[in-house]
Amino acid sequence: MGRSPRWLRTLVILYVGLLVGVPLVFVFQRAFAHGAGALWTALQDPSMGNAIGLTIRVVLVALPVNTIVGVGAALWIVRHPSWLTRIIDRVIDVPLAISPIIIGLMLELAYAQNGWLGRPLAALGLQIIFSYPGIVLACIFVSLPLVTRQLIPLLREIGSNQEQTAASLGAGPVRIFLTITMRSILWATAYGVSLTLARILGEYGAVLIVSGNITDLTQTLTLNIGANFENYNAYQGFVGAGVLALTSVIILLLLGVARHRERKRHEHLA
Amino acid sequence: MTAHSFSPTNGSSQPPRTGWLLWPFSTLSRRTAQGVAVTFYSLVVLIPLAALFSNAFTHGWGFFWKAATAKEALSAYRLTITCSLVAALVNAVAGLGTAWVLVRDSFKGKAILNALIDLPFALPTVVAGVTFYTLYGPKSPVHLTLTGTWTGITVAIVFVTLPFTVRSVQPVIETMTFNAEAAAATLGASPWRVFRTITLPTLLPAIVTGAGLAFARAMGEYGSVVFISNNLPFRTEVASSYIYSLASAGDPIGAAATAVMMLVVALCVLVVVSVTSRRLVKGH
Amino acid sequence: MSISLEHLYKSYGREPVLEDFSDVVPDGSLTALLGPSGSGKSTLLKMIAGLESVDQGRVILHGRDVTALPARHRNIGFCFQDYAPFYQLSVFENVAYGLKTRKMPAAHITKEVTELLELVHLGAFASRYPRQLSGGQRQRMALARALAIKPDVLLLDEPFAALDAQVGAELRAWVRSLQHELGITTLLVTHNQAEAMEVADRVVIMNHGRIEQVGVPSEVYDHPANDFVRSFLGPTTTFAGASVRPHDLEVTRSGEGVSAVVRDVIRLGFEVRVVAAPADGEALWLQLTHDEAQQLNLQVGENVTIRRRN
Repeated sequence: MGRSPRWLRTLVILYVGLLVGVPLVFVFQRAFAHGAGALWTALQDPSMGNAIGLTIRVVLVALPVNTIVGVGAALWIVRHPSWLTRIIDRVIDVPLAISPIIIGLMLELAYAQNGWLGRPLAALGLQIIFSYPGIVLACIFVSLPLVTRQLIPLLREIGSNQEQTAASLGAGPVRIFLTITMRSILWATAYGVSLTLARILGEYGAVLIVSGNITDLTQTLTLNIGANFENYNAYQGFVGAGVLALTSVIILLLLGVARHRERKRHEHLA
Repeated sequence: MTAHSFSPTNGSSQPPRTGWLLWPFSTLSRRTAQGVAVTFYSLVVLIPLAALFSNAFTHGWGFFWKAATAKEALSAYRLTITCSLVAALVNAVAGLGTAWVLVRDSFKGKAILNALIDLPFALPTVVAGVTFYTLYGPKSPVHLTLTGTWTGITVAIVFVTLPFTVRSVQPVIETMTFNAEAAAATLGASPWRVFRTITLPTLLPAIVTGAGLAFARAMGEYGSVVFISNNLPFRTEVASSYIYSLASAGDPIGAAATAVMMLVVALCVLVVVSVTSRRLVKGH
Repeated sequence: MSISLEHLYKSYGREPVLEDFSDVVPDGSLTALLGPSGSGKSTLLKMIAGLESVDQGRVILHGRDVTALPARHRNIGFCFQDYAPFYQLSVFENVAYGLKTRKMPAAHITKEVTELLELVHLGAFASRYPRQLSGGQRQRMALARALAIKPDVLLLDEPFAALDAQVGAELRAWVRSLQHELGITTLLVTHNQAEAMEVADRVVIMNHGRIEQVGVPSEVYDHPANDFVRSFLGPTTTFAGASVRPHDLEVTRSGEGVSAVVRDVIRLGFEVRVVAAPADGEALWLQLTHDEAQQLNLQVGENVTIRRRN
């Protein structure tokens, strides 16, 4: 056998092409099924516009929060090990293993008007469930580990020698982070952030429960697609799906670039 | 101990402490950081988790058990576990082959193939869900009707979990030198024997890990299967769908009970996978 | 079992790795393929084993043309630089692998493997796993594994490169005596000239995929074919415009020769290096024995005379 048998290559290309490629092309085909004009009209549907607006507003909060928390947690776990960080390291993957429906249910039970935290928050005039903050909270939950998971093995592998050298030369912690650490973790962080963005944009089950799916008010783009489909507005649904499929492709490109740059950085050292 | 102890003029001859990085060094700051982290994690994860468990047992063990083992729940578990298991196994094999080609082969368009693998991570589940429903449902352009079948559900899950097995095996293959395989060849082993006795055992831990992650994800999958399954109770209702129906029908306690049961099952699976892959690594 | 290599060519893309390589390795000898990194020696070894393809030329084992034969039919023993242990198998199972592949009866396998493990002094480690062994032990296991199939030819790819000096030295001596005892034709690849000189009956010096010189160790050392061989096999220094061995020069306080000033005297135990600068010409260095240096008692800055020993 040489490097890899020819028949395996054919099989794999067929498998991935049929399983992944075909559905992707299909989404765009359906979105354009009635031509560009109809597509443009559909994109201006007010409900979908509201859904897109809401989704963007959710991303604007959830993405930065999870990035900062993710990077901070990774640095903390790797550079400041303690009993607490060991526990967090073990449970960090939990959000990835729980069904989004269960996550939505959990959040609803805790934050509903009559829930443990919902009641005191309601007294303060804050409504979480069936409202924007709840959606943000759900999206933070489901994508919480994504950045950290990328960074922990990387930080362990890099080691702290460079940072310690900088410290011995007189640099303070913030300066060290900005000039030394960030450079080595940049592309891995970019990869994690891209995954986080994808997850936030694409979250369905958890947001379904937590938002109440109120059209024009608490309906994200994913919920909008689902609702259109259930109401036999398949075409409108596919237009929304096309928008998200496009963002997915862009995210794929970002992932590819990040992966490529990270590999380059890695090879540079070897 | 103050924060600025690393200037060269400092009389101390001790090397800089590890773990100085982002945090100031005073105990107070460290405690504050710990406090903030614990509060954040509690608000987002721990308290909701506790609320779930507490609600599940509101009416005690008896009620919990009755709800968690209701007939409809049991058929939902059966369906979900079977489809998830099949999908995990399919992707274990397919993932190995795909990772192999991605690492060892080179051809035009390999980069596109590599990027496509991540699509199930990047694409919203509901998009996959409606697409599979339209592709393989009534009025299917390929004349394949899989709606309302376990097969259709499995296909959707296979799509969603493809990246897990590929990405967990890929890095291992990348670091293999294949000298052991060459040595086995000089000792007289045929290519199949070499693969079976040398390569596969080396890759097995990564395959198991990937399959375990795929299984865990598959068990909780909702958006991509809810359309193609048609959600027929007792027939094609996946566990997450069942929980959702309970929650929206105003039975949060039943939903919580079923959810807790699912979590326990998922936890058991993760433990088994973890133990198995540690056992398999014994030689390394 | 002699190895005959005829006009072997190999290139990776545009890069030629081996060019017109021809040699005959005599039956029962221990031949060293010696050369710097990138000289093509490991590739050559793998071509003989059937682990790399041959672009042009022939590989003939004891009269049989094996050029097109896959590795598993050639009955050769191969040891890798990283020992390539089968990590998931025990030491016993590692050594037994080739025999098990040939479907030998279990009792026979047990007997053979046990004897081999005794031979390589790993008898007590039979049920251990490779990761529990040291580098030297893994190397011996790799050897036992290769010998188990009673190969016609033994190929060793930089077998001592990853070992400590002490362990490597012991292993080298042991491999040499083992090879003499078994009489198996052995080809050893190394970039370490001391190793080649110490272990081999015969040395083939390679550079950029070509043969520079072939001969017994003392022969190639004393009569190098060209400057490359001379400088690769041992230290050189420039004296009167020619490249010479530092120990072929002697230093006195009077008599015929080139006058020079002593720049440095470095004591390395048995060997003493004297760096001297002739009036016209580059600085050179000489190798003296401990006793010679002691008798001369040279001081830095002294004027001395340097000439070749006869």
